[in-house]
Amino acid sequence: MRSNRVGWLLLAPTIAILGIFGIVPFLYVLYVAFHQWNPFGANPYMIYNGANNFRRLVFDNEFLTSIAFTLKFAFFAVLSEVVLGYFLAQLFMKEFPGRGLFRTIHTLPLIVAPIVVGSVWRLMTTPSIGIIPYLLKSWFGYDLNIGRDATMAFALTVIMDIWHWTPLVTLTLLAALVSLPKEPFEQAQIDGANRWQIFWHVTLPMIRPAILATVFIRLMDALRTVDEVWMLTGGGPGAATRYLGLHIWKIVFPKTDYGYGSATSVIVLYLTLVMCWLLYVALVARRGQKRAS
Amino acid sequence: MEHMVDLDAVDDEASTIIASPQRTGFLPIVTNWFDRVFVAIYLFVALELFWMRFLEQSIPLSVCHVLAIALGALIVWRG
Repeated sequence: MRSNRVGWLLLAPTIAILGIFGIVPFLYVLYVAFHQWNPFGANPYMIYNGANNFRRLVFDNEFLTSIAFTLKFAFFAVLSEVVLGYFLAQLFMKEFPGRGLFRTIHTLPLIVAPIVVGSVWRLMTTPSIGIIPYLLKSWFGYDLNIGRDATMAFALTVIMDIWHWTPLVTLTLLAALVSLPKEPFEQAQIDGANRWQIFWHVTLPMIRPAILATVFIRLMDALRTVDEVWMLTGGGPGAATRYLGLHIWKIVFPKTDYGYGSATSVIVLYLTLVMCWLLYVALVARRGQKRAS
Repeated sequence: MEHMVDLDAVDDEASTIIASPQRTGFLPIVTNWFDRVFVAIYLFVALELFWMRFLEQSIPLSVCHVLAIALGALIVWRG
């Protein structure tokens, strides 16, 4: 009992902070989601409207479209970041001249604020002054205009996200790779395993927790991305890059429809948790079942 | 050095305290009670949203409440 009391005492500050900054705001958002509330409208008071915000949500084509775009964005961005991050982590495991310098430069995007990343990429991709349209035009004769071309706008948001967040994945996987024991690899080599077999049967299972944690973090981030995309494309052209975070921002700030915005936020949180849980089940829980059986 | 701690005993005690009863029901994974409540709540919400989108025009939402609660209870007890 004593160790329990000490445990709870040590956890108390964390629980208090989590409660104040996490749970209470969430409960408030949940409360607002069941109300009609536009504080700058004709009636600035909250009016209880049951599940009407959610009812409106399931028929909102803009919202449903933005879910599809966001899932596509998250899929391409997170997958590319994990694959690229793993290869870079493997590269940093090897000795080569200038490794320290390259690692430092490679990590720099991480310390840049997302809004600045969006601004820089906007400058780089603006047709008349940006270096990317200039190079594409002079090398390949391709006329890049993300204000017109929805596919390119989408691709550029993905590339920007990869540029910004791959270093995080690299550092996490590098930490995991560095901490691996040498013996299983030596054993596999003695047994005649090739590089692919070593990767598939030794490396991958051992760094699975690190990959899983990284994918969770990046997936949650990708599903709520706002500022970078807002700076780069503003959600356009049309609604081609109007991802969920941006969609909520537009409901809550320009339209000041707090009730509907809260309902949308709750559903986005729901989707995020469902996806993370499914991923967890696919990668961890089913393995646990196999072991148990 | 006066108090020697028996690490094995502490480990046993910790595992007894921490481990929550897990089992395999009709869900395709090993679950504890928290997992089952989690799945039940998530299916409840999914069912409600689906109903609002496709079925509410013909069948009232209260039917969905009853079905979703029954499904949730089934998952918590037998899942």
